[in-house]
Amino acid sequence: MKNRAAEEIFRKKRRRRRRLANLPFERKIEIVVELQKMASPIRKDPRHVIWPI
Amino acid sequence: MEKALRVIQEITRQGIIKAYAIGGGIAATYYIEPLLTYDLDIFFIPAKEGLDVLTPIYDYAREHGFDIQPESILIEGFPVQFIPAYNDIVREAVEKAATLKYHEVEARVVTAEYLAAIALETGRAKDRERVIRLLEEAEIDRAVLRKILKAFGLSEKFKKLEKRINEE
Repeated sequence: MKNRAAEEIFRKKRRRRRRLANLPFERKIEIVVELQKMASPIRKDPRHVIWPI
Repeated sequence: MEKALRVIQEITRQGIIKAYAIGGGIAATYYIEPLLTYDLDIFFIPAKEGLDVLTPIYDYAREHGFDIQPESILIEGFPVQFIPAYNDIVREAVEKAATLKYHEVEARVVTAEYLAAIALETGRAKDRERVIRLLEEAEIDRAVLRKILKAFGLSEKFKKLEKRINEE
């Protein structure tokens, strides 16, 4: 039997992803840069440049 | 990124490459939730087929003072990776690319259907995840996708993936 609470969480996650998928492309690129900044202290790799947008 | 897109346009206009389309993580980000990625992947069809199809692009980069890295060219600090169309599906994806707009610049981008098919063919765990995301979040034309999958012998692989998704 499936867990209703978990199903509700997954449903909300899917909805959030769809909302993010519909953002303007320019905003999405800003989010990619935010992700790069967040990841840089963890994934230290000189090849990983934070984009100068 | 605008500068990088303009340079890629210029490389195409000068006939250094025949055609191009954005692929990889940025193409996926155009259709789905933004992904962590570090390169702008450019699939291209060379102007002349041969062994060293990257040389004319790197020559252009050197002439214009762009920093050449082992895997990419830094265009005003923005890493661009040029990848020759390595098989028929990627080649067709470049030929049938869509157009996106980033601020005032237009650029060619692999369509969601071809992106899904290429990811399915590549077949690593992250590629399978990408196919699932594209199916869930992008406006995929299923009829077009089916046609592409059939043309490139990927229908069975897709059925197996769909079965796995439905079982989870």
